[in-house]
Amino acid sequence: MNLILEKQALQDLLQSWRQNYDVYLPQKLERFSHFMPLTETSVLVTDEPHNTRIPPKSLFLPMTEALVKFTRYGGYEDARHEIQPRIVFGIRPCDAQAVQLLDTSFIQDEYTDPLWLERREKTITIGLGCHEPCLNGFCTTVGYGPFNKADLDAILTDMGDVYLVETFSQAGDACFQGLPVAAEETYQEALAVQHSAHDQMPVAFETENLKEKLEQNFKNNYWDEVSQSCLGCGVCTFLCPTCFCFDIVDETQRRERVRNWDSCMFRTYSLEASGHNPRPSRVERTRQRISHKFVYWLDQVNQIGCTGCGRCVRYCPVGLDIRSMLRQAHSLPFEVSHAI
Amino acid sequence: MQSNGRSLYTPIPMHVLRAYYESTDRSLKTLELSFDHAENSHAFFEAFNPGQFCLLSVAGKGESALGVASAAWEGDFVRFTAQNVGSVTSALHKLKAGDAIGMRGPMGNGFPLEDWKGKNLVIIGGGCAFSTLYALTKHVHHEDHRDDYGKLILVYGTRTSGLCMYKHDIAAWHENEDMEIHQAIDVPEENWQHHVGYVPDVVRQVAPSPDNAVAVVCGPPIMTKFTLPALDELGFAPEAIFTSLEKRMKCGVGKCGRCNLGPQYICKDGPVFSLAELNALPADL
Ligand SMILES: Cc1cc2nc3c(=O)[nH]c(=O)nc-3n(C[C@H](O)[C@H](O)[C@H](O)COP(=O)(O)OP(=O)(O)OC[C@H]3O[C@@H](n4cnc5c(N)ncnc54)[C@H](O)[C@@H]3O)c2cc1C
Ligand code: SF4
Ligand code: SF4
Ligand code: FES
Repeated sequence: MNLILEKQALQDLLQSWRQNYDVYLPQKLERFSHFMPLTETSVLVTDEPHNTRIPPKSLFLPMTEALVKFTRYGGYEDARHEIQPRIVFGIRPCDAQAVQLLDTSFIQDEYTDPLWLERREKTITIGLGCHEPCLNGFCTTVGYGPFNKADLDAILTDMGDVYLVETFSQAGDACFQGLPVAAEETYQEALAVQHSAHDQMPVAFETENLKEKLEQNFKNNYWDEVSQSCLGCGVCTFLCPTCFCFDIVDETQRRERVRNWDSCMFRTYSLEASGHNPRPSRVERTRQRISHKFVYWLDQVNQIGCTGCGRCVRYCPVGLDIRSMLRQAHSLPFEVSHAI
Repeated sequence: MQSNGRSLYTPIPMHVLRAYYESTDRSLKTLELSFDHAENSHAFFEAFNPGQFCLLSVAGKGESALGVASAAWEGDFVRFTAQNVGSVTSALHKLKAGDAIGMRGPMGNGFPLEDWKGKNLVIIGGGCAFSTLYALTKHVHHEDHRDDYGKLILVYGTRTSGLCMYKHDIAAWHENEDMEIHQAIDVPEENWQHHVGYVPDVVRQVAPSPDNAVAVVCGPPIMTKFTLPALDELGFAPEAIFTSLEKRMKCGVGKCGRCNLGPQYICKDGPVFSLAELNALPADL
């Protein structure tokens, strides 16, 4: 359904959802915007020209959470978490796309992560399309886009005083029940906004044969060159919406086994008890980060594991830019591999 | 993977049935664990395949991946041998009979035993990585399975005779007609009646035929690295050579991302790979 939502009516609509849902949306937290629960006084951030600093993957895979409780007498039980029905409002299409990518890792038949699954099943996601190109983003380059609909129950297009609301599911319909239906003309205008947004996104690098180039040059000193100034701080992975690695540690005092976000950019990540480390320097670690996104995700689910959100570009303290790294990869030699 | 109605990450309760040192220097300790609940035991043995591993859990210390060193027919318990190298394994070394312990598993693929039926098996092990090969040998050697396979040739090397694991069984195997066993130590010792030398050299000396045979190699990385070319020289094809890989692990179920080798997770898609499969993956070990 295509509906019209007056911008002035948004606050009331959001508040009305609170009766049945926990509502999360981007709000200012110090200098950054951040997905936080809606309160009566929340100020929504919809006009920021980029996404939140911490990606909304944190709503499904919290930075830290208990997995297991130690019982008395040496037993173990599942850690319990109360997960309420939720609406995540204002998620950008790149970040929603990332959640869909993560589903392919967390939801796999008998290997399904129960906490991820429960949060996903209890969440309605309402996207806010990007009508103006964001700083550093390159979603169209990697095959997605500023109005990408993957994983959304509805998406909003900013049209000045109003939003055009497109709903894609019953849950999405229910959230916007009672709003006036958009005239065909308005819908066409919205499509024009979407297309122009798409066309304004720059092509950041060439993806044709990129996978082959990276995988065939696993041993090339290209990796030394692109990792030279890296500090190994892990920011690029920590803030990446598709990075999902976690560590598991025991918190003795709390009698819990906890998972915490981790990063393949850290030395200890792959360090084995024998002292052997398959990725001893930032060269191998950078290679892992880039290859995971531009080679291994493709092998696994035939999708690029980077949604072009731009965070790693924006927040790297030494200005390492994945876009220029991948532009540089273009001069790497390769042979066309024939898929069987 | 068995779920037992628990989350992927929650261990099942087990107890130590027997705990004993496996090597004279006390660096290796064997734990035999029994199930607290019969349904967990059923689920385990329903799923178990030699070559798989489990995560043993010590509350407050963490979890360690250890290969299963017992065959299903041995009884209602699971055996592991742990080398004392760090925080979890040193806690495992402190356990004694009757102590509680948590376990997750069996994890991973195990050896492709179905595909190996009708073939000669060349089993090559070194150091404490021999544990899953021990389980494999016990499985194959059992009267219910022995006829499914051809010749059984075992090469097992350790640095010293004191580090040789499962001595009782291995001594008994020397007496067996239907199995060829070659033991080796790195440097000569008094009264040692078997090979002296490194595993790759012993393999060259024994020169098993590649005809209708598969070779499975598990050992320290350096041993594996030099044994593979030896097998190649003997004419074993990459499809007929198997090894079990190790990487640092946490979740054991392909979620935490830690143990990836290219697009594969060693914990879930491995740990057993053929050399042909490995050749197609990045050299990220
Ligand atoms: C498939 C597989 C089978 C194994 N089988 C055996 C076996 O039969 N016997 C044996 O003695 N050892 C085995 N290992 C190695 C064993 O898992 C590690 O030596 C052990 O986890 C070290 O833990 P720690 O806490 O004592 O050491 P620490 O250095 O304190 O390690 C901290 C944590 O890092 C992880 N870790 C560190 N090194 C490794 C590693 N090499 N592999 C996996 N996780 C690691 C563990 O989660 C560990 O708890 C196996 C490893 C794998 C991957
Ligand atoms: S954010 Fe930059 S410096 Fe930090 S680990 Fe990533 S690439 Fe290296
Ligand atoms: S790699 Fe960088 S641009 Fe791509 S999704 Fe991750 S943080 Fe965003
Ligand atoms: S140990 Fe977590 S993915 Fe393999």
